[in-house]
Amino acid sequence: MEWGTLRAEQPVVTQLLQHAVWRERLPHAYIFEGEDRDEQLGAAFLLARAFLCSNNDPAAKPCNQCSECKRVQSGQHPDIIIIRSDGLSIKKAQVEFLQKEFAYKGMESTRKAYIIEEADKMTTSAANSLLASLEEPEGEALAILETENLHFLLPTIVSRSQVISFRPLSEASRQAHLREKGETEEVAAIKARVGNKPTSLEDGERTNWIVQGRQVVIQLAEEVFQRPLQAKWLLQDKWHTHFNDREGLDTGLDFLLFWYRDVLYTKWGREDLAYPDQLERLKTEALNRSESMLAAQMKAVMEAKRYLAANVNPQLLMERLLLRLQEGSNFASSDWHSL
Amino acid sequence: MHFTIDTNTFINGVQQANKAVSSRTTIPILTGIKIRATATGITLIGSDSDISIETFIPSSDEEHEYITIHEEGEMVLQAKYFAEIVRKMPGDALTLKKEGQMAASIASDNVVFNLNGYDPDNYPRLPQLQEEQVFQLPQYLLKDIISQTVFAVSSQETRPVLTGVNFTITDKELTATATDSHRLAMRTISVEAEEALDIKNVIIPGKSLVELNRILDDREDMVTIVVTSTQVLFKIDHLLFFSRLLDGKFPLTSHMIPTEGKTTVTLSTKALNRSLERAMLLSREVKNNVVHVKSVGTDQLEISSISAEVGKVKETIEATDLNGEELEIAFNGKNISDALKVIDSETISVLFTGAMSPFVIRPMNEKQMIHLFSPVRTS
Repeated sequence: MEWGTLRAEQPVVTQLLQHAVWRERLPHAYIFEGEDRDEQLGAAFLLARAFLCSNNDPAAKPCNQCSECKRVQSGQHPDIIIIRSDGLSIKKAQVEFLQKEFAYKGMESTRKAYIIEEADKMTTSAANSLLASLEEPEGEALAILETENLHFLLPTIVSRSQVISFRPLSEASRQAHLREKGETEEVAAIKARVGNKPTSLEDGERTNWIVQGRQVVIQLAEEVFQRPLQAKWLLQDKWHTHFNDREGLDTGLDFLLFWYRDVLYTKWGREDLAYPDQLERLKTEALNRSESMLAAQMKAVMEAKRYLAANVNPQLLMERLLLRLQEGSNFASSDWHSL
Repeated sequence: MHFTIDTNTFINGVQQANKAVSSRTTIPILTGIKIRATATGITLIGSDSDISIETFIPSSDEEHEYITIHEEGEMVLQAKYFAEIVRKMPGDALTLKKEGQMAASIASDNVVFNLNGYDPDNYPRLPQLQEEQVFQLPQYLLKDIISQTVFAVSSQETRPVLTGVNFTITDKELTATATDSHRLAMRTISVEAEEALDIKNVIIPGKSLVELNRILDDREDMVTIVVTSTQVLFKIDHLLFFSRLLDGKFPLTSHMIPTEGKTTVTLSTKALNRSLERAMLLSREVKNNVVHVKSVGTDQLEISSISAEVGKVKETIEATDLNGEELEIAFNGKNISDALKVIDSETISVLFTGAMSPFVIRPMNEKQMIHLFSPVRTS
């Protein structure tokens, strides 16, 4: 990661860090806190590189040309120590090793950098022994603690560090990011919006699950719109078999919510859709629905999500939702009368 | 890089450098040995980041020609395999040649090994030597200084500076100090250096010194010591031993050493040590090796130790000279015993300043060594 790429996502953070580097006024310890661990780690390594870079001009750091920069990038620099959780937690022995490193002067220069990944995974005793080193660091040391859960860190550690909060990524940039990683447009669009749910699945599995899930949702929305009376069969046949646990169902409801939001967006002519490949269907539905109708449908989905959180039976919850969705449909009422 | 070298000479060099290599390293490249071939000879470097050893094998000396350099260059090879391979080579000479980007072929007689390596540009840089803070002393003396101080360093990381030995130089006098805050060992010695050389607060980790002590011989040859901002270098013939320094301020110790006391005792080193060891037989486990000492008359010390569960011991030893107030004190016998082991004088003099204040042990034949201990409070 470079300053440019970081600035695109996190202008405030970049400003803050760059100024610290330019003025050579880095604090002893930073906490990088936010949702996207990759981004935070990228920023941590970028800062460590800038800290160790041997270029004389602070504005040019990191130069990526000098031997320090290159070795930090290839993970071979002796004066940068990285602590990763070993299994579920960061053990006391790891922090003790870190303390020893804190006590020594750097191998090549007087500067030393430490990066602790997932700092919230430090056991309490590990965190406590780190405290002393953070409090009165000797020499020029820079510690970067990276975490997703700032509140799991000891307050005494937080108070000794400068907390940098990373703004959550925008949907659009997350989508672009996923596209770069080689996801298809449709998958990237929905993945960017759904976050990392459902968390129980591995990455590859999750992609499959999402691809299938969004098909089910598209079908259901289609049925509700075109053939409301058949929608119930689909519910039994596909919905409950795919979204078969609580978290899955919750994600499924998110998918449905995105659908109705997409209809609304299409109505307004916006192009940042969760189902970019379904533009035709969305347009047809948008033509036949009023804004208030769509609002009611989205509200119904939100309500279903709330019921789910309150442990309502999924079957009942979905059937009720279906009825509420149909209420908003002109076709539904006309069909009903014709029967 | 391409050279042919006498196998035995190379084995020695590789083994020297390999001493610094550890399998547990923070960065992968430190599992390798760096080999640099220049027209004058071969340099081998091994390091675990705390200590680094660089050896130089000259192409030839007056008698022999050891190396033929075909092409200069650098490479880094996995120490674990490389050291073993070199050691097991059958022929009198072996040839090492760089193959492709980072790999090497090592050949001797009919044997050829191909070994993958690391990019030598990624190997950590050893400090550039500015020969400003330089001094010299004979190997055997350096060895003495180390063994007479390093035992007293703290084994606990709570105060990291105390895990090292502090070296200072003023007026061509080197002082090495180690303390774990309960005891202190200090050795002073005159060294060869520039008149104006003033070195302060150079704290060398105890672990590094122990390692260095294994390499040093009891010889009269001079060791050159160079201090840089982050590391200290010991130059011994063709071997360079680097150690990282400890960061931080070593506590000021000069004012701690009392010059006047209430009681002075002179006694035999060996007798005291044996007596302490007997006393500690009982107190070893339970009470932090607490040993009580009491003066009896003007020529005897009573040494006792009590352990409620185990039993007690009492003995008297002769003191050649006992002056001043009556004495009753308790201390950690292990600390005293450790210090007595590194004193080679037949007799020692002990200066007590009171039951609750520190006392000093000095060897009678050596004015430049001081051991300081704090007593233990007992009720």
